[in-house]
Amino acid sequence: MAASDVTELNTVALAPTPSRLWGTAAASVVAAACAIGLALSSDHIPAAGVHAALQAWGILGYTLAGVFAWWRRPDSHFGILMVLAGTAWFLSSLSAANQAAPFTIGIAFDLVPAVVFLHVFLAFPSGRLERGFERCLVATGYGVAFGGQLLGMTLGGFGGQNLLELTSQPTSSLRLLNLRLIALSGLCLAGVAILVLRRRQAGRPLRRSLSLLVDSFALALLMIAFLFLSAAWGLASGDIAFETIRRTTLFAVGLAPAVFLIGLLHARLARSAVGDLIVELRADPTPPDLRAALARTLRDPSLELAYWLPDFGAYAGVDGAQIALPGPDSRLAATLIRRHGDPVAALLHDPSLEDEPELLAAVTAAAAIALENTRLQVELRARLRELRGSRTRMVEAAGKERQRLERNLHDGAQQRLVALSLELSLLEGELPDDASAHRRIDRVRREIAASLNELREVARGIHPAVVTGHGLAVALEQLAALAPVPVRLTVEVPERLPEAHEVAAYYLVSESLANIGKYASAASATVLVRRADGRVLVEVRDDGIGGADTERGSGLRGLADRVEALDGRLRIWSPAGGGTLVRAEMPCAP
Amino acid sequence: MRAVIAEDSVLLREGVAGLLRGADIDVVGCCETAHDLLLKVRSYSPDVAIIDIRLPPTHQDEGLKAALDIRSSHPAVGVLVLSQYLELGLALKLFADSADGAGYLLKDRISDVGEFLLAVRRVSEGGSAIDPMIVSTLFSRRRQDDPLAALTPRERDVLALMAEGRSNQGIADKLVITLRSVEKYVSSVFGKLGLPSGESDSRRVLAVLLYLHT
Repeated sequence: MAASDVTELNTVALAPTPSRLWGTAAASVVAAACAIGLALSSDHIPAAGVHAALQAWGILGYTLAGVFAWWRRPDSHFGILMVLAGTAWFLSSLSAANQAAPFTIGIAFDLVPAVVFLHVFLAFPSGRLERGFERCLVATGYGVAFGGQLLGMTLGGFGGQNLLELTSQPTSSLRLLNLRLIALSGLCLAGVAILVLRRRQAGRPLRRSLSLLVDSFALALLMIAFLFLSAAWGLASGDIAFETIRRTTLFAVGLAPAVFLIGLLHARLARSAVGDLIVELRADPTPPDLRAALARTLRDPSLELAYWLPDFGAYAGVDGAQIALPGPDSRLAATLIRRHGDPVAALLHDPSLEDEPELLAAVTAAAAIALENTRLQVELRARLRELRGSRTRMVEAAGKERQRLERNLHDGAQQRLVALSLELSLLEGELPDDASAHRRIDRVRREIAASLNELREVARGIHPAVVTGHGLAVALEQLAALAPVPVRLTVEVPERLPEAHEVAAYYLVSESLANIGKYASAASATVLVRRADGRVLVEVRDDGIGGADTERGSGLRGLADRVEALDGRLRIWSPAGGGTLVRAEMPCAP
Repeated sequence: MRAVIAEDSVLLREGVAGLLRGADIDVVGCCETAHDLLLKVRSYSPDVAIIDIRLPPTHQDEGLKAALDIRSSHPAVGVLVLSQYLELGLALKLFADSADGAGYLLKDRISDVGEFLLAVRRVSEGGSAIDPMIVSTLFSRRRQDDPLAALTPRERDVLALMAEGRSNQGIADKLVITLRSVEKYVSSVFGKLGLPSGESDSRRVLAVLLYLHT
């Protein structure tokens, strides 16, 4: 076979024509009947009735669920794999036969179903093993379960009907069998670990029917591992304990297709939920409520709405944030919703919903108008976000510019003035004893000192360098130390805040303390800065006369602007005789 | 006496260097960055390092960090930090453990050449130099039941000069009074404030600073 043929086989599933589907279903019924007959007539099976029922449960379960999956999802190999699992189960059930030929086949396939189940469970939902490690695991399993079994059978130990027996070395044969059982239970447990890991990595809530199914996979693998380990431990066919474990395991393994079918059945019932959805849609839901209603109806808690905003040429979530539709490799699937040929929105959902195209179609048809009606709200939110973003950028740019100005003042004019003053002093030392010249030099030096003080104040007003350099706490300590009244300072900010927040808090405290000195006639003040619950709280409180004029001057307005630019709020309480409280709250994502 | 200077403004660096040379102080190294400063301190073991609090590359507090570094790794080297602004928290950081061989002055003080050279000499000899603005700031904080109110104006002057790091002789020179009367004022101030007396000059500075700060 050429290499290209191999890839061809791997990528294209067999088309589910009606004749294939019906043929497979009929064959599975015949196989189940055959297995029942063999079990009931067997001379070496205890409690044959129970055994027969369990065989039928497994064979029919896997093949019929497989046929159903094959029909509903022709692109996936999963249905065909399930049919193969049923077939393997049937082949292993031949070991109940009294005749040598079917008995030998049955024993040869005795351990194979365990590996096929592992294969099926790991290949869910695409029907393909996606990772090399998983392929390696399953291939090892087949080698051990089938190859190892054939090898073991040549050594005898499986009874007189075994046609493959070449020599009779039952002890070695048993030892080899135990090795196989331990190896296979190890593989099954590894499979459980993979299932658990995958679920952790998914990082989003699974649909309920899906999580039940994965649970049933893990349960089946655990039971198989337990069964094999107890066989390796020495429990033998016929022991009551072993038979109980075997029956429980067969039942548990047969649960997976049952859960699968119940999930599909549930989907049919879910279509009646569309009626409830239509009632809910009449109440003009907001975008988040609409999302919740759709998630409920589709039973997919991870569902997201992506509204198409023509003005932005992009999709946006219910909060107005732009989102990209998932690509073909994503773990999410997208269903586009159109009205009059124009896109309205997209549902981002679990790919398993694509098994229920009727439900999806009914929901999208019901929701299209509601989605179009709520799109305006989302567009508004998107505009608000855009506006906020640009305001934040403007505030940041202004902050950077102020910082640059301050740096220029510090490095330029201020240093020059200091150097000038120094030069003047040195010059003075070389002057002859002339009292009037010394007086004039002294006056010039004082002028320079005054200019330096003014420049210092200007620079501090432009940008408080101490905040950028040493953080809010150090800067506030300094303000508190220089304050006109004793200040009790509490700073509960474990890490540095964004610079804009620090600068706003600094100016707020600085201005408030200055006002306290000018107007409040206070004996003391408290300053509190705290970061909690995604907000920064700044409070300055005094015990003065209160009655502050909140409209006074541009100082407070400027402070309010700074706080509002950060989406925050500034409030001032100043009852006559009751002190003054200035309080700012700014959101600050952790 | 040997000095190194770390200051990124050329004008000021050359001005200070000229000033020191004129006073027969050996300027063994001038540099612009904290990194170079540490190298020069290691190689020349100067008596004093004069450091701008803001140095490249970020112009934040590289100078102060370097000063703290030198204080812990070369305790014999006095450090005199110069700052354009009064940054009280940083200044107090410098004196957190001791005021021995440490100084913090505003750059404006340089132009008072005589006082500046006195401060440099004090720091190089293991004493302290604390900017009068820091002292007056600490003085001006209002306290409830302020014990400073119990001091006479002369006693307050003496306390302020002590806090700047001056010795009794220095205080006597500054106030133009006798050494004996300075000693009288000092013990009276210590008595009124309940401070332990008989400390060395720089221990005395720390005690006074702590008293004023808390």
